Amino acid sequence: MEAIVQLEDVAKDYGQGDLTVHALRGVDLSIQKGDLAAVAGPSGSGKTTLLNVIGGLDTPSAGRVWVDGKEVTQMSRSKLSKLRLNRIGFVFQAYNLIPVLTAYENAEYVLMLQGMPAKERREKVMDLLKQVGLEGMDKRFPRELSGGQQQRVAIARAIAAQPALVLADEPTANVDSKTAAALLDLMVRLNEERQATFLFSTHDQNVMKRSKRLILLKDGMIDHNGKPENIEH
Amino acid sequence: MNTFRIGWRNIWRNGKRTWITVVAIALNTAILIVSYALMQGMMVDMVDNATRMVVGDAQVHAPGYRLDQSMYKCIKEPEKIVDAARKAGIQAAARSYGFGLISSGSKSAGGIFWGVDPAAEQKSFELSKHMLIGEYLSAEPGKNVVLGQKLAKSLHADVGSEIVAVVQAADGSLGNELFTVCGILKVAGEKIDRGGAIIHRADFEELFVSGGRVHEIALNAWGKLSAEEVAGVASVAAGDDEVKTWKQLMPLLFEMVKMFDVAIFIFGLVFFLAAGLGVMNTMLMATYERIREFGIQKAMGSTPWRIMKDVSIEAFVMAVFSTLIGAAIGVAAGLYFQEYGINLEAMARETITFSGIAFDPLWRATLSGKIVMLPVFVMWIICVVAALYPAGKAARLNPVRAMTHV
Repeated sequence: MEAIVQLEDVAKDYGQGDLTVHALRGVDLSIQKGDLAAVAGPSGSGKTTLLNVIGGLDTPSAGRVWVDGKEVTQMSRSKLSKLRLNRIGFVFQAYNLIPVLTAYENAEYVLMLQGMPAKERREKVMDLLKQVGLEGMDKRFPRELSGGQQQRVAIARAIAAQPALVLADEPTANVDSKTAAALLDLMVRLNEERQATFLFSTHDQNVMKRSKRLILLKDGMIDHNGKPENIEH
Repeated sequence: MNTFRIGWRNIWRNGKRTWITVVAIALNTAILIVSYALMQGMMVDMVDNATRMVVGDAQVHAPGYRLDQSMYKCIKEPEKIVDAARKAGIQAAARSYGFGLISSGSKSAGGIFWGVDPAAEQKSFELSKHMLIGEYLSAEPGKNVVLGQKLAKSLHADVGSEIVAVVQAADGSLGNELFTVCGILKVAGEKIDRGGAIIHRADFEELFVSGGRVHEIALNAWGKLSAEEVAGVASVAAGDDEVKTWKQLMPLLFEMVKMFDVAIFIFGLVFFLAAGLGVMNTMLMATYERIREFGIQKAMGSTPWRIMKDVSIEAFVMAVFSTLIGAAIGVAAGLYFQEYGINLEAMARETITFSGIAFDPLWRATLSGKIVMLPVFVMWIICVVAALYPAGKAARLNPVRAMTHV
């Protein structure tokens, strides 16, 4: 199977001297195309940092990262922007929708940045909103949507450009368990139907159980990397 | 998704702050339009008074006459110049000048006699309409005189008074004649006010035995041609005679007109600076409030250039909205001052003069497309430039730090 993400001895330190925090220490990891992988671990174990480093939002202190065959660690800022725009989708814990944009416009945002013609964008976004269960809500602003609905918009936005990889930082953390289950169903379905690779960071046991692969982080190091059912509780 | 529409939504996130900035920009724009229109009005009035009253767009004199106003330095072929001007649609008035002593009762004063063709003067210039009391000269000679206001005052002369003119004639004899005052001019400039005694050219020739000498031809195209074009037409027929535009004849006035442009520029600079700082402050505040959003946009793949563009468009949208309000206020006020003017009579009882040029005490604005659009366009540029600093700050944000910004 082809690796969409490859990490080689990646380390990330914050601060200096005695106050240095080792968020990641010598992480080696490979995520395959079409994977649905969950990164779990206690708070401060380095889950978000790992996702940020893979997404090119943060630069590692040491080691090398490849996404979709391209080495992220060697890229300039503008190339990283281009990579994020075309190859990576993001879903954040706090939804992070742009408040002055409607659900439609938020989902459309990345396609607009890509320069897709308006008519094509419209068809695609309307179809996406339908797929994430937001049909008829396209004109609503984020403040007019529930938390779960906002996260659906965020998911639509993340997959709109058909990225090679979707990085989701605790996507179910701010919603109730029922909504979380529905969101998870949606992401599993998108993973299966669209062959989109998902990498979650999560605390949610349900997310861990339903992922195809579970990566456990502890003190910035990988403690376990394998099928969720093989984990010793 | 329309970037301008998004910019519009963004500026109204903090309505109170935006309104304060909008009002400031609108007022600055309105003040600039009104003051520019008033200054332009003053300039137009000044130049018009100077050129349309007496001087004209250009004048022809014998070489050296302007330095030494000798009776004998006259234009060689005045008819040829007048004909050439009239063929080109330019009004022309030939004048003769002579110095002499004017007495009325026990009062006497030195004066300059203007020998004019009343019909040509009335067609070419507005001086004949600028009467304080009485009437201008009639077409036929009749030993009538029109006096400058200060000269009339010093002679204690009124309409109907008789004055005696004593002059040295061109043939060396002593000329004297009795004239009746038919009118007194309003303040029309220092030269005319203090010493101007305007008489018919035929009377002048009789008094000065001038033999048809013409010392000056004043040309006025009434705005159809530029001063330089008028001078060009006259030059062809003038031969060796000197042709000068009003800019050369009244360099002080011309310098003043140019200085007005500088004054407007400096005045405008202060207002543009104030508006620019207001916009910069608003955009800085708006940027700081949305650091998280800019982080998200960068995470989504927005380039720094795109973020700069978005913030600049936001400032531009605000500038357009504000200047539209400002232009509406400015145009309304400008039209009012164009129609009704500002009456300065309370400040100055008589007509105001500057550098020998009379002003109408009713100060009117002159509104034009340029006067409205220039402050508006410059304000747009200032607002966008002022937004570049906050836009640059937003563009340079680190996405991770920006997204965790509280």
